Amino acid sequence: MKKRAASAVLSATLAASMVLGTTAFAEEEDNVIKIGVICSMTGGSAVYGEGAQNAIDLAVEEINSSDSEYKVEIVNGGKVVDDATDAKQAINAYNSVMSEGPEAVVGCFFSSVTLPIAEQAANDGMLLLATGATNKDVTLKGETIFRNCFIDPYQGKMAAQFVKEQGWEKAAVIYAKDDDYSNGLKDAFIENAEANGIEVVYIGECTTKDTDFSSQASQAVANGADFVYYPCFLDTVPLLVSAVRDAGFTGAIMGGDGWDGSDTSGMEDYFDNCYFTNHYSSEDTAPAVANFVSKYTEAYGTESLNACAALYYDAIYMLVQAAENGGGSDTASLVKGMTGMEFTGVGGTFSLDENGDALKAVAINTYEDGQVKWMMTLSPEGEKTE
Amino acid sequence: MKMPKKYKVSYLINLLGLLVLYGLAVLLFESGVLGTSTTYVKGIFTTACYTIVMVTSLNLVVGVMGEFSLGHAGFVSVGAYVSALASNALSGTGMPNLLVLLIALVIGGIAAGITGMLVGIPALRLRGDYLAIVTVAFAEIIRVCFCNFEFTGGGKTMSGIAKLADFYWVYWITAACVAVMFMFVRSRYGRTVKSIREDYIAAAASGINVTYYKVFTFAVAAFFAGVGGGLYAHYMTAMIPTNFNFNYSAELLSEVIIGGTGSLTGSVIGAAFLSALPEMMRQFSTYRMLAYSVILVLVMIFRPGGIFGTWEFSLTGLLMKLSGKGNKAAKEGQ
Amino acid sequence: MTVSLFVQSLINGLNQGAIYALIALGYTMVYGIIRMINFAHGDFIMIGSYTLFYTVPIMINIGMPAWLAVIIAVAVCMTVGVLVETIAYKPVRKAGSMSALITALAMSIFLENLAMVLFGAKPHNVAKIFALPTINVMGVVLPLNVLLTIAIGVGIMILMQVFIKKTKMGKAMRAVPQDKDAAILAGINVNRIITLTFAIGSGLAAVAALMYCAKYPRVTNDMGSMMGIKAFIAAVLGGIGIIPGAMLGGILVGLIEIFVKLFAPGWYEAITYSILIVILLVKPSGILGKNLGEKV
Repeated sequence: MKKRAASAVLSATLAASMVLGTTAFAEEEDNVIKIGVICSMTGGSAVYGEGAQNAIDLAVEEINSSDSEYKVEIVNGGKVVDDATDAKQAINAYNSVMSEGPEAVVGCFFSSVTLPIAEQAANDGMLLLATGATNKDVTLKGETIFRNCFIDPYQGKMAAQFVKEQGWEKAAVIYAKDDDYSNGLKDAFIENAEANGIEVVYIGECTTKDTDFSSQASQAVANGADFVYYPCFLDTVPLLVSAVRDAGFTGAIMGGDGWDGSDTSGMEDYFDNCYFTNHYSSEDTAPAVANFVSKYTEAYGTESLNACAALYYDAIYMLVQAAENGGGSDTASLVKGMTGMEFTGVGGTFSLDENGDALKAVAINTYEDGQVKWMMTLSPEGEKTE
Repeated sequence: MKMPKKYKVSYLINLLGLLVLYGLAVLLFESGVLGTSTTYVKGIFTTACYTIVMVTSLNLVVGVMGEFSLGHAGFVSVGAYVSALASNALSGTGMPNLLVLLIALVIGGIAAGITGMLVGIPALRLRGDYLAIVTVAFAEIIRVCFCNFEFTGGGKTMSGIAKLADFYWVYWITAACVAVMFMFVRSRYGRTVKSIREDYIAAAASGINVTYYKVFTFAVAAFFAGVGGGLYAHYMTAMIPTNFNFNYSAELLSEVIIGGTGSLTGSVIGAAFLSALPEMMRQFSTYRMLAYSVILVLVMIFRPGGIFGTWEFSLTGLLMKLSGKGNKAAKEGQ
Repeated sequence: MTVSLFVQSLINGLNQGAIYALIALGYTMVYGIIRMINFAHGDFIMIGSYTLFYTVPIMINIGMPAWLAVIIAVAVCMTVGVLVETIAYKPVRKAGSMSALITALAMSIFLENLAMVLFGAKPHNVAKIFALPTINVMGVVLPLNVLLTIAIGVGIMILMQVFIKKTKMGKAMRAVPQDKDAAILAGINVNRIITLTFAIGSGLAAVAALMYCAKYPRVTNDMGSMMGIKAFIAAVLGGIGIIPGAMLGGILVGLIEIFVKLFAPGWYEAITYSILIVILLVKPSGILGKNLGEKV
């Protein structure tokens, strides 16, 4: 420990460079909402960051070229800040966004990185609009934390409701043990399955990095399941579906919004009779959805068009509406405007409850020839539209 | 045993150096020169501090003992989880925050140290590549265990840990940890371990209990890794077992290697620099890891011992040199 | 557990194990001769898989059998393998095993991130390579894929065994790890042997990629990250450097993982790693290896 002098010199240079980098502050304008955006741009989940960046660009361009009373400005030069799906970097990402004095922060997509940020945002009194963090604890951290995605318990419950409606009786659940989202959906599904008279015949575990699902698939078949629930992210979905189908399973396979964007090419027939719950359906004819899907596809193709892109897109519009409701673009007005807000966007029409969680209808999608097809929408009250 | 005067002076000088550095940091953060970036820079400094503890502790194994450990994140996770559980248990007792933090860190460190001992006893029978792989295996087993333990939330994020790790405290805890490790290396124990590194057959032949010293060093390294993990937990406030995967171990090891195997000051600087590097390269985030791996390969090719090698930066030595007393002091020392 | 589930698990285990065995074959070859833990081996497989992802559709379009794409994959992997060896591994070879390990780790990070920059972060599905039917007997599903993978594995094993034991080049390869200096004195160009070993090892990685993609038809940039360690476990279990040992070890690891998933699904990784620890502590030379005293 002899002397940290050299490291001090180093850190001082570093600090100095950062000060220089952030001195150029734009003069505060009253009708511009400054927003910081965080997502995973590198690492294994970078596919989500790609979608987020595109969606943000799209939303900003639309809003700023429209006659909306409030305009938006994304700090960090319009770029999404990277959290690398790593808690350490996420905190630094949040702090780096904060150093540019935003009025609201949008992100992150994963609960494990959003939770540390939420804690800090609650302390700072900063408005944090979580996009994909479905862990129910996120919004409980403070009054200024909101989210526009489902919480895990809700999505799992809706899946169970759908299964009951379809008349499937013996469910097998395969979930990733080392992931928040997967655990949350599994718990909620199992809890609600029993209440809906669905028998859970098999619970299989895997990890987010697994590639082999043959053992779980065979066990699900051996236990006589007629339905497989796999609440995990898109990268392993094709592997699971092919393993389950190869094991001779012909029943329904279902997942959550993590499935959106899964590659089905080459296994189109395997994806028949597969379903997933989502915030929206790319097939939906509602104007907001149709507008988003067509513009996005035109500009960026369908490569990164997934639930994450839709949620980030909506988040920007929600902030604009919050500014209109609250009558100002500062954080306090935004929080005021967002509390209990009712919003219509790509993710449907929904309201934020007392915790700041979105209560919204679930779109149930299926596949036809490998293409996502909208099947029905289930509202929180249990109403069904087909 | 009386401490030689020379040591007293150098301890004093180092303490002064630390105080000056601390003063500079306080000045930097409290004067507001950083403006809105204060929290950001403070965050980077805090990250650097706990990384320093982890990396320096790993250097005890890699540099001083000359053995590979690719599973340090396992011990970090034990320290992180146990200290988080400890501080949760203590939170209602009305103790001052600093005391809670210190107790939690010590408990976390001891838990990690015990784990280190349990891992070390069998694993340290192996050497070289095999030891490296076995440490990976143990770290992965620890991670799987945390995924299966319900009291840490299983595979889910454990959140709601009190945010006790403020930069000013972390700074002094880091300083204390590094100081103790430095004294350990300089002690009779450290010298014995170094002799084992140089030639373990000769060391064993001179009557040194090789296994005992190796396991002891491993446990000490694990203890400090646990303390680092405790700081991590109380700074981050939420964590999930997958944070402490193989990649984290590899990151810590490469920080040791780049800083210099066997040089604790090299580790301090390497850790401080490399944990801040991702922040400096934020604008090129896609190419960040590419650059990082290229640097690592270049260091391996051109400076296999790391940037600092085994050379220790010495404030006392520097002052001596500056005042032109270097030669005289060297002569006196002989 | 019913009989059919047991038989099915046996088949699943063989299926997974055969893939591990193929990966371990290339791995044990490199480790056996250079004594270096090549963390980047899994990433060579990733590169082979990406090559297949791009070339299989081309092969199908021009009317050739899809699996012929493996020839291109072998060529690409060999090139990458030799490049990595010459640029990164060769300069650090004299610096000891620690530097070699770190360099391998760095190359693994490098290749993974290079793949992300080049191919993007989105996982892709590889087009179907073999149109093999599955046989369904009394509720047990037997994909013929398994038999093919095992046959390829055994074929490669025999070829390599013959090459190493019978040819002059093979003899030189065996001589290098025993005593490098003596090998040089005997007129063996050690550098060339090592480069050749890498070329063969990487080529085998491409073959492993073919069978891997046939079973798990998905490529991502981080697919190879833990594969190197799994292959190492398989190679150590069978006896490092022993070619039939890699085959045996791979199949055993595959079987064990599948059966652990039947009883303690959350712990299967822990069990696999425990096997490694136990083997290294009890019989470091592996199942087929002979115990040798440590050289002083």
